[in-house]
Amino acid sequence: MSEQALSDPWRLPLPHSTRGRALVGIRLVAVLALVAVAVTTPGFFTTVSLFSLLNTMSFVGCVAVGMTFITLSGNVMSFALGVTLSTSGIIFIAALPLGLVGAMLAAFAFGAALTGIQGFVIGYFRANPIIVSMAALALITGCATLITQGHGVYPQGSAAAALQGRVFGVPMPLFAFIVTVAVAQIVLSFTWFGRNLYMVGSNWRAALAAGLEPARIVLGAYIAAGLCTALAGMLMAARYSSGDLELGIGYDYHAISAVLVGGTAISGGEGSAIRSMVGAFIIAVCQVLLLLHGFSTQVQYLAIGIIVLFVIMLQTLVDA
Amino acid sequence: MRLLIANRSVRPYLLLLAIIVALWTLDQGRGRFFTAATAFSVLQQLATIGPIALGLGLSMIIREFDLSVGGMMSLAGCIAVLTGGRYPELGVAFAVLFGFAWGIFQGAVMVWLRLGSIGVTLGGLLTLGGLAYVVTGNLSISYPRMDVAMAVNHPLLQIFSPRSLITLAAFLVAAFFLARTRVGRDIYATGSDRRAAMVAGVRTNLIIPGVFACSGMLAALCGSLLSYGLAAASGVALTDALVPATAAAIIGGVSLTGGKGTPIGIVGGVLVLGLLSAGLEAIGTPPAVQDVVTGGVLFLVAIADAIDLDSRLFAIRRFWAEVFRRTAGPGQNIASRIN
Repeated sequence: MSEQALSDPWRLPLPHSTRGRALVGIRLVAVLALVAVAVTTPGFFTTVSLFSLLNTMSFVGCVAVGMTFITLSGNVMSFALGVTLSTSGIIFIAALPLGLVGAMLAAFAFGAALTGIQGFVIGYFRANPIIVSMAALALITGCATLITQGHGVYPQGSAAAALQGRVFGVPMPLFAFIVTVAVAQIVLSFTWFGRNLYMVGSNWRAALAAGLEPARIVLGAYIAAGLCTALAGMLMAARYSSGDLELGIGYDYHAISAVLVGGTAISGGEGSAIRSMVGAFIIAVCQVLLLLHGFSTQVQYLAIGIIVLFVIMLQTLVDA
Repeated sequence: MRLLIANRSVRPYLLLLAIIVALWTLDQGRGRFFTAATAFSVLQQLATIGPIALGLGLSMIIREFDLSVGGMMSLAGCIAVLTGGRYPELGVAFAVLFGFAWGIFQGAVMVWLRLGSIGVTLGGLLTLGGLAYVVTGNLSISYPRMDVAMAVNHPLLQIFSPRSLITLAAFLVAAFFLARTRVGRDIYATGSDRRAAMVAGVRTNLIIPGVFACSGMLAALCGSLLSYGLAAASGVALTDALVPATAAAIIGGVSLTGGKGTPIGIVGGVLVLGLLSAGLEAIGTPPAVQDVVTGGVLFLVAIADAIDLDSRLFAIRRFWAEVFRRTAGPGQNIASRIN
């Protein structure tokens, strides 16, 4: 009978346990409720509000895709992605005299190096990821403040304008975000690295016993996070025409919120880049809806906090 | 002597001694560091970071981690400032009560839903931060009682203030409970090996909410007194305490793997950080240097505490020994033949 059920192409891909099914049910109800509120809200489906929604979502979304790699590898989150975003934006602006491509390469290399060092320590020595990211936050903030003297950096010339334009009619940040999600999802689903990342995240010891080198996978996950964050940093620096340490404040919290709301497991080993995109989208929709209903920014913060707390509590239903 | 170094709680005090000696040699009798003013400012910093470090340290002793302390600190400051206009004690009481209730809630969620503390307290941090924004309306609210603001930070015996004395009292109470009572022993047992503790009859399902309630109350106490002292509260200003508090707890001998550390050691860790920043300030370095020093120390301790450090170092040593044997081996043989 079970074989029949497995071979039946019309069977819905539901989890087998009651808890798993309850989780799917709750998620469906939540999404349907959100859609219902959106449909009944006047002004939500205007092109202006939709485009601004998608645009602001792109920056957080890029960082969230980066954070997804860290969460999937079983290392929960990094507190240092916000400051990585700011500093790679500063590097991008400062390196613009080298030309657009040179500046982008410099910013990518810088972001990957910052997170790569943390990934090395966390992977090879198995240091506590939370503590390492806190240390990195303090170290990077301190060094960057000493070097920039707390001032912003402003671009020379107009090479950064290329990142402000449109590609095929789509604003550059949104385009870059969609490409990031696509690349990240392809890496996660179809490559050796992606497969092993899920394995290391769900069970380190099993991965070690299976002959993998988990340390390398974790290092790779952190480098991927650094690349995604550096991309977000460049896009933001180009948008505001300045590099500043203030740019990325709070982005680590926004990113992990998107990752968790999308349904990626905080214990690692389950989730995807597309889920994080959905999470970022849901949070952005909630923000726009609250705004259209006349609630203040403060209430938006509170609402996101409660949503994240609720989503984390729901994770008790995830099949372990 | 060896016993002294092996004791984790003594280590921060040895470090403290080393810093004092270093500052003394740097100073060369000009009297820049060793004044009552320095002692006062170090103790004021103890009052600002100490309770947070103690709460975090307690949660680390049971092998959990309370990320929500920063949010609790700012929200408690707002609650105290908003409700303590007429009776300041009442404002602190409301804030501490809220900290207690929130800690119990977080601990109960962890126990009942079998969730990790980092996830739950991350949700808690975001919710508390949002609440603080809503309560203050995203503005800095001022506290009208200037007399209370002055009294809270008023110097007593030259080096103490009511704020730092309350903090020291909290540390003494915690030290007594952990060292001398059954609850304290159960807390260490929960952190060392939770399943073994459960089998031995420790009610870990009560210990966990209890410790998070303590952590919430300490953060609330710290935040409300700090806001009284500043005569203002806001949703943003107070969230930067997490990194120095974590660093202080770890320098003070609390282990990330649980079951190790004492309140007395944590005091030492906070004092080390406080004296270090006071010394750097007196030499005239910019405040960002303190960030670098705190971050650097935290980074080194994280590596020193890492699970696989020993096996990696062993592998590296063996690799170089092999290289050395291959390159230097024949030469040694020749030398021995000549002899």
